[in-house]
Amino acid sequence: MDLLNKNPLFLSSLEINGPLVVAEFELFGITLRLTESVTVQWVIMLILGTLFFILGRNLKVKPEGKRQAFAEMVVTFFTGTVKDTMGGGYRRYSPYIGTLFCFSLFLSLSGLMGFRPPTSDISVILAWGVITFILVQRNRFKTGRLWGGLKSYTDPIPVMLPMNIVGELANPLSQSFRHYGNILGGLIIGSIVYWALGNFALVVPAVLSIYFDIFGAVVHAFIFSTLTMVYVAGADCGE
Amino acid sequence: MGGISSEAFVLGAEVIGAGIAMIAGIGQGIGQGFCGGKAVEAIGRQPEAGGTITRTMIVGDAIAETTGIYSFVFAMLCMFLHPFANALTNR
Repeated sequence: MDLLNKNPLFLSSLEINGPLVVAEFELFGITLRLTESVTVQWVIMLILGTLFFILGRNLKVKPEGKRQAFAEMVVTFFTGTVKDTMGGGYRRYSPYIGTLFCFSLFLSLSGLMGFRPPTSDISVILAWGVITFILVQRNRFKTGRLWGGLKSYTDPIPVMLPMNIVGELANPLSQSFRHYGNILGGLIIGSIVYWALGNFALVVPAVLSIYFDIFGAVVHAFIFSTLTMVYVAGADCGE
Repeated sequence: MGGISSEAFVLGAEVIGAGIAMIAGIGQGIGQGFCGGKAVEAIGRQPEAGGTITRTMIVGDAIAETTGIYSFVFAMLCMFLHPFANALTNR
């Protein structure tokens, strides 16, 4: 558009784009784009995998080094949180919750290394939201069997059925938009401040980065996993 | 409409729309302030439960924040992607 390119105020020198496309290839007639979000996720997966492999290797009954103490601290934290939030019967969810938290945290923190954080890409977060949705439905039909699961949609009165269905579908959307919007918002505000200060960008971007990149990353990783726990445990329709 | 092109009008309207969308921040601010205030009250009354209260408060804050984030995403969409101005030119 001609007018957009000529706009002298902000549009010509400040560009907000989607994630960088690293490679493009065709598969069965569909163009697949390999974006920066996916490649950064691979790197983080590799880092986390190596880290936890090293942490979990040759464990002793009596902890000797700091390595095992740290590993036990991490595991105890996640089992404790899952037990406090979801109740004792849901202990088997703690590996998933822990993975979700660490993965989300590391992905958001990768913004500090100069990457575009993959958590600012809606496709990445929406996939996690869909996983939460599947877990919720699974738990609903597992605890209540078929009839109890179907009946729980009509809580408390059958008139609420459409509202319950809309609410159920809105949960993954609101959960993922919250995380994505926060990280993307931090990214955009950061780039606007960098652009506005120009050559004098000294202290202000650092303060903003501490808030948006570090505090925001921890808080939103925590909130996403907490909401996953709350939704899954809330779908329990057994006694 | 002397001297103003329809593209410029739509662009201006989009930016004003982005500003109006951010009014949703009022609700978020009130919600978060209320949440924080209540948490301070609760900690004052029961300081030993401070950790749990803070954790719950942060989750509540984030939920109160949701509407604000929606409006922020929409405002950024209007400001930088120009969906309506693009629709006008590609018509």
